[in-house]
Amino acid sequence: MTTLTPRWRLKPVAIGGAHLARPVAWSVVGLLVVVTLVALFAKTLAPYDPIQPVGALNLPPLSPGHLLGTDGIGRDLLSRTLIGIQVSWLSALVVVASGLLIGGTVGLIAGATGGWVDSLVLMRITDLFLALPGALVAIAIVAALGSGLTNTLVGVALVWWPYYARIVRGEVKALAARPHVEAARLAKAGRTRILTRHLLPGVVPTAVITASLDIGNVVLLLAALSFLGLGQQAPAPELGADTARTLSQLLSQWWVPGIPGLAVLLLTLIANLGGDAIRSLIPVRR
Amino acid sequence: MSEMTESPVTIPVAQVEDFSLSLVRNGVRSQVLHHVDLQIRPGEILGLVGESGSGKSVLALGLLGLLPPESHPVTEGRITVDGVDLLHAGRDELRRVRREVLGAIFQDPMTSLNPTMRIGRQIGEATGDDAESVRLLETVGVRDAELRLRVYPHELSGGLRQRVMAAIAVAGHPRLIVADEPTTALDVTVQAQLLDLLRELRDDFGCSVLLITHDLGVADQIADRLAVLHHGELVEVGAAADVVRRPQHDYTRSLLASRLTLTTPRDERFATESGSTTTESAVSIRALTKTFGVGRGRRRHEITAVDGVDLEIGAGEALAIVGESGSGKSTLLRMVAGLEKPTSGVVELAGDGGPQMVFQDAGSSLTPWLSIGETLGERLRPLKLSRGEVRERVTGALAAVDLPPEVAKVRPGELSGGQRQRVGLARATMIPPAVLLCDEPTSALDASLAKSVLALIRDLRARIGMTVLFVTHDLAVARLMGDRIAVMQSGRVVELGPAEQVVSEPRDPYTRTLLAAVPEIAS
Repeated sequence: MTTLTPRWRLKPVAIGGAHLARPVAWSVVGLLVVVTLVALFAKTLAPYDPIQPVGALNLPPLSPGHLLGTDGIGRDLLSRTLIGIQVSWLSALVVVASGLLIGGTVGLIAGATGGWVDSLVLMRITDLFLALPGALVAIAIVAALGSGLTNTLVGVALVWWPYYARIVRGEVKALAARPHVEAARLAKAGRTRILTRHLLPGVVPTAVITASLDIGNVVLLLAALSFLGLGQQAPAPELGADTARTLSQLLSQWWVPGIPGLAVLLLTLIANLGGDAIRSLIPVRR
Repeated sequence: MSEMTESPVTIPVAQVEDFSLSLVRNGVRSQVLHHVDLQIRPGEILGLVGESGSGKSVLALGLLGLLPPESHPVTEGRITVDGVDLLHAGRDELRRVRREVLGAIFQDPMTSLNPTMRIGRQIGEATGDDAESVRLLETVGVRDAELRLRVYPHELSGGLRQRVMAAIAVAGHPRLIVADEPTTALDVTVQAQLLDLLRELRDDFGCSVLLITHDLGVADQIADRLAVLHHGELVEVGAAADVVRRPQHDYTRSLLASRLTLTTPRDERFATESGSTTTESAVSIRALTKTFGVGRGRRRHEITAVDGVDLEIGAGEALAIVGESGSGKSTLLRMVAGLEKPTSGVVELAGDGGPQMVFQDAGSSLTPWLSIGETLGERLRPLKLSRGEVRERVTGALAAVDLPPEVAKVRPGELSGGQRQRVGLARATMIPPAVLLCDEPTSALDASLAKSVLALIRDLRARIGMTVLFVTHDLAVARLMGDRIAVMQSGRVVELGPAEQVVSEPRDPYTRTLLAAVPEIAS
């Protein structure tokens, strides 16, 4: 009898980072759900219109009627932050999901087909994207398309998928060398069926884990782009842009740039913890 | 079982007293060992025999003070090595005992050697200087020892790696070497050498050896005494010759009975069938060659795995292909299956639908996330049957390999090794193939399971009348499964003839070497 886990048995993957205990992991996943719900219902939750001035100027947090205070032109900071969270969080989810879809498809086809499709076409295009600094390319794309939230999302999504293509291709290659794929070929299973039933399900855990660890990065990149004036345009609230515009108030009224900044910090933290939690909970074949 | 041949003067090197152990596996605590009493005397080789799951490896870990903490072991009783109670000793004390008293050789030397360190440094950790390392490597029969110090583990063959492990194990002049299935991953000829080596180490250094194995034949070759472990209980202990020739316990008898040997009676039903084989050929292999490129740049060279093999296999015939690792037998089979493209030469198969294959590792040949029902149903997809018909055919296919219909609902991970291999067999034969290819389907199974799977393959063959190509490293299995045996060495077929004749009157010297290395229990 050996104490080794057999090769086919599912084992948790370790990419690095913390490995969370099950109850902790579940509560972090709960936090992810809460953030997503807040983002979805931000309009209902926000007490005021985020664009209109509604109170005195530069009220500190915990002022009556304005839990997080107001900014330099009297707009409610809680409302602006909630809508800002909506924009950042949902955008990050959209970017990661589209990256998974494009990258996953490219990686799956490249890994399963092999040969020149893999080495000459798909992976060289992927390498090309990976060789360019992502944020700069995104900025260039936004500059070409014109600034605005949609264009920013398109720009970021275009530089984001190659990572997933790489990871999925590697996983598919490793899976395709396993006897179960050879057995399926001998059983006369079609190419599509091998792809969808014998390869794809094995890749999903790794892809989902990588993607969930990535949401925080996208939140940061979007905030950084808005900080530079790309992305969501004023007066619509955006966490990065709000921080940037009011940075001069940092010493006099710290909460005006500080609260959207803290919101970015919290979102990124929750996203990263969430990634770790999902990794602890999903078993990955190794 | 009590010790019957106890001599009063010798103090045992290691003593296991009323040792019980439970471990947590997959969240469930289970009792692994029950009240085990065992003594290892100075200078003796004690064979510990049992099937997988009997608890023999865990007992070895206990003797090394290496019970896995992540399994939360709960122990009762005592394990004393060199006067130290290993279950309650502190870390420093444990380390001292492991360094000064114990040596270990494990089944897979690749995982127990550090892949990032040169051999010299790894042995040096135990010896302290190179001269001593070279001397030790020479002791364990490694030629060009000085050159070997500079290589990494992956550059050595399995047999050499196991010798290096042995060198490290004896480096500290241990009083007890614990060897856990040291020869299971090795070819028979290498196994014979390693067993000789263990005996020499005992004779030269006077140390005791605990040899853990599932093979009574191996244990009988070198052990002085034998202990038989069954479901965590020691069912029989005694002098090796007595245990093997006059077994007291039913379990020992069943272990002996399930051993396949070169004299296991062959089923006459099949012997007559081979006589009726038509001249029509089901598989014809002509001048088949496969070369692989290894290395890069200037170090690139070609390895010829299969070197111009010609074989004709008649319809309904069973041919067993025997060879050691690296002989090209698996590559040959994979080319027949169409999984590998020949470099040159042709494979012609009679019948349509292509050959089916049963893989060595049944676990990895089944898609882990698909239910058995879906895996089997996949073969019926071209027939475009209704769901009810598919379910019926799947149930029928499972019944044909003696599995209940509920198996269709579970995933491969929930099945045992033997059950998985049956599923593999069901998948291959549910639509009767003209040719069935078997790649060591039983080498990973316990003897009793292997025997039943082999019987099943023979039954299916009789029922379907298919041609069988059976690749194995085991001559006893080959003799049982094949009408004819082809012996392969370095990519060539060195001997081909009727099974009984190849085993009883081998013509090629290599076949004779193979036969001599098979551990047999002489009566």
